[in-house]
Amino acid sequence: MRIGSPKNARRRRVLAGLLAISLTATACGGAKSSDKDGDGSTLEDKNLTAAAGESGLEEAGAPVRGGSVVYGVEADSPSYCLAEGQLAISGMLVVRAVYDTLTVPNAEGDYVPYLAKAITPNDAYDEWTIELRDGITFHNGTDLTAEVVKNNLDAYRGKYPGRSSLLFTFVLSNIDTIDVTGDLTLVVKTKVPWVAFPSYLYSSSRLGIMAQEQLDDENCAKNLIGTGPFKFEEWKENTSFKAVRNEDYWQIAPDGEPYPYLDAIEFRVSPDGQQRETALQAGDLDIIHTTNAQTMGRKWAGMRDKGEVTMFVSEEQAEVAFLQLNNTKPPFDDLRMRRAMAMAADRDQINQIMNDGLPTIANGPISSGTLGYTTDTGFPAYDKDAAKKLVDEYVKEGNKAEFVLTVTNDPDVKKLGQLVQTRAKDIGVNVKIQTRDQAALVTDAIARDYQAMTFRNYPGGDPDSLYVWFHSGNKEPADAPANPVNFAGINDTEVDRLLDEGRSETDPAKRKALYEELNNRMGEQVFDLWTWFTPWAVVAQPNIHGILGPALPGDDITKPVPAAGADDAHSPSLGLATAHSLIGLWKTN
Amino acid sequence: MNNAGALLSKLGVRLIQLSVVFVVVTFFTVSLISLVPGKPENLVIPFDGTAEQTQRAEFRKKNDLDQPLPIRWARWAKRFVSGDMGNTYSSTGSSPVSDKVKDAAPISGLLILYTQVVALAISIPLAILAAYRNNTWVDKVISTLAFGALSLPSFAVAIVLSYFFGVQLGWVKTSGYNPLGDGLALHLKSVAVPVIALSLGQIAVYMRLLRSDLVATLQEDFILMAKSKGISSRRVLWRHALRPSSLTLLTVIGLNVGNLIGGTIVVEVLFSIPGMGKEIGAAILGRQYVALQSYVALIAIFFVLLNFLVDYLYTVLDPRIRERGA
Repeated sequence: MRIGSPKNARRRRVLAGLLAISLTATACGGAKSSDKDGDGSTLEDKNLTAAAGESGLEEAGAPVRGGSVVYGVEADSPSYCLAEGQLAISGMLVVRAVYDTLTVPNAEGDYVPYLAKAITPNDAYDEWTIELRDGITFHNGTDLTAEVVKNNLDAYRGKYPGRSSLLFTFVLSNIDTIDVTGDLTLVVKTKVPWVAFPSYLYSSSRLGIMAQEQLDDENCAKNLIGTGPFKFEEWKENTSFKAVRNEDYWQIAPDGEPYPYLDAIEFRVSPDGQQRETALQAGDLDIIHTTNAQTMGRKWAGMRDKGEVTMFVSEEQAEVAFLQLNNTKPPFDDLRMRRAMAMAADRDQINQIMNDGLPTIANGPISSGTLGYTTDTGFPAYDKDAAKKLVDEYVKEGNKAEFVLTVTNDPDVKKLGQLVQTRAKDIGVNVKIQTRDQAALVTDAIARDYQAMTFRNYPGGDPDSLYVWFHSGNKEPADAPANPVNFAGINDTEVDRLLDEGRSETDPAKRKALYEELNNRMGEQVFDLWTWFTPWAVVAQPNIHGILGPALPGDDITKPVPAAGADDAHSPSLGLATAHSLIGLWKTN
Repeated sequence: MNNAGALLSKLGVRLIQLSVVFVVVTFFTVSLISLVPGKPENLVIPFDGTAEQTQRAEFRKKNDLDQPLPIRWARWAKRFVSGDMGNTYSSTGSSPVSDKVKDAAPISGLLILYTQVVALAISIPLAILAAYRNNTWVDKVISTLAFGALSLPSFAVAIVLSYFFGVQLGWVKTSGYNPLGDGLALHLKSVAVPVIALSLGQIAVYMRLLRSDLVATLQEDFILMAKSKGISSRRVLWRHALRPSSLTLLTVIGLNVGNLIGGTIVVEVLFSIPGMGKEIGAAILGRQYVALQSYVALIAIFFVLLNFLVDYLYTVLDPRIRERGA
């Protein structure tokens, strides 16, 4: 179905010669360059928030079974052997088709049981009992058991023979032992009390549970077997991923039949954002996701209001776009230079140029809706004169006020780099822009072989997830952080203390205070140059509905799961940065 | 005997040419990609812990990455000529490069074939018309349009065409590929925009070359002879002038395949077409040295063989070349 064509049959088509159209790929905000500025609206003004809900859902009526959907995603992932693969954000969406996680976030930001029936801590929060739901099977017919779950968790933390975990050995390093205590029960003991442990069993949908057959398969990356709403059918790398309906899915829809409603789903890789949007309009894609704030405001909002697309936008638990600064090397090993750059960047103006001013300015890594969020973190306000003074002071000591800014080969990211470059020049700092492809950029980040680079990370969820990225990993004070995933090289005893205490603090009020203090520390110390929180949108053909999915399952899985949760505790998270449920998607003719 | 000997001699020369091209192109490619920041072991095993350092060392040893470039290349070349194109690097199990080629090469081959057919179908009549109306407004308009088409980057054209013909008119697909098995109409809809975008530049080049040669040929005595015998202009142009004017065009068709392969990288990524262009792009971004060497080698072999075919077609087009060779 093509969008808009029947209604716009008489629209005049104007094609003005050669268009200088820039390719857009994933980027921190920003669409193609345009002379037209935004009109000063916010996301709220344009009804582009999670509170607005999914457009057209109420009028759509009851869900309809059948049909298939082609979902345009920005990138493929190198592998879907979850313990070893490195999932791109699009990959998190793909794995939600085939796998389920033990927990999922709800609309209150808590992590509630999903494949698990219950996850119960002891009083000290260093022992967690996971009770699984009975009667769930994998796509190959085998049962979900505690033994399989233990093997999965061991694989993730690098303790399962034959599997070589990468990222999760760090993330789950606080797990001490995992013991199976019954067919459907296992106990996880942690080295230190871990209040946020349930959030790690989700890990942005990365911790899907694989069948034993896949776990033991040499060809784990291609033999995908989960409990998810769709069964793996075919994967053509960098092109498409196809899955078909799991007839025996464990969640029952209100009509008494198992979810999902769709017969099949295809994730088609379409890296260029512009082309992905064109394909949606032409009807060659049914649904896409995008972080392009400009087109959200300028194009999609209008089409949504006319009923030409279904749309859901969310800035809840959003990622933050930022300039990652290398705190281990000059000039950003000096707080003065970090503060100077923060004061030189008129972020409101840059946000206006890049995103029509729609996203919310970020003063720290923690986003709205996440525990620890604060609006005023002490991040320096725009003050060019004060910035110049700091730079002069730095230079008088014999230092050089210059750095190399590494950006990806994307026009909008380069544009952001140029904006930073001009602002830096105004305060006497010379910036050279260096382009790297994504792979080389990540390599530079890991090796801390850079001075500053454009980045986007830290989707919301529990703030304990920041432990991996910001903790120094040093047991004793040292010159540099031992934590290899601490790309910014943050080596701050106060940050370490707050992260350690926040991890184990059981009093909710005290925990909140600790993370607010952390957010403030991250702001006032300017370890990174925070810019804005990146809204995500899912845009679909007008006959596609059910983006967020139904209510979360209750204890009894033989009973139908309602189409909507009675309250936030029983409703799925409104965040889109770490994918969304696919079980509730449906399509009318 | 003489003919057989001449043929064998030609084949021998071609084989030597092929070998030289194979060595130079593949070694040059892998040297270039090795200079780009970001090593395969760092991408596959990204973290810097002690365990990861050990994994990286094992990975390097397993994939000959611990060897100097010439030795690494030589080992790959030895396997390649025996039919083994190698495997991709991955942390979770590699896959044979030959599988990717088997799926992707026919798709790109079709794209290139369609592009050449479309380009020739449009450029030849235009060139004949321009030559026939040499130095008139018709000739000038056609030449100007050709320059315009030549200056348009194929990706920009593709994006504009897909919006206009895909979104506005709904005549073509803007994403995804349908093989012939899905039906001819659907197949053509899925390749229409990429083919048109790639062919525009080719049309311009072919038209200009052929027009110039035709203008020169039309000055020849045998054309005057044909006209004086009362042969119609149409027949003179298509039957008598076109053939001897086509040699340069034929040469450029063969050489242009290289350009087209580069063009397919962009359009295949834009339109999610699973061809060789997409695989090459992914191999570069993923630092898949072995896959890239194998792809480049295959393209080099194809290129040499194609130009061998072009040489043979010269003799078909112009019997004088055939007789001279004999």
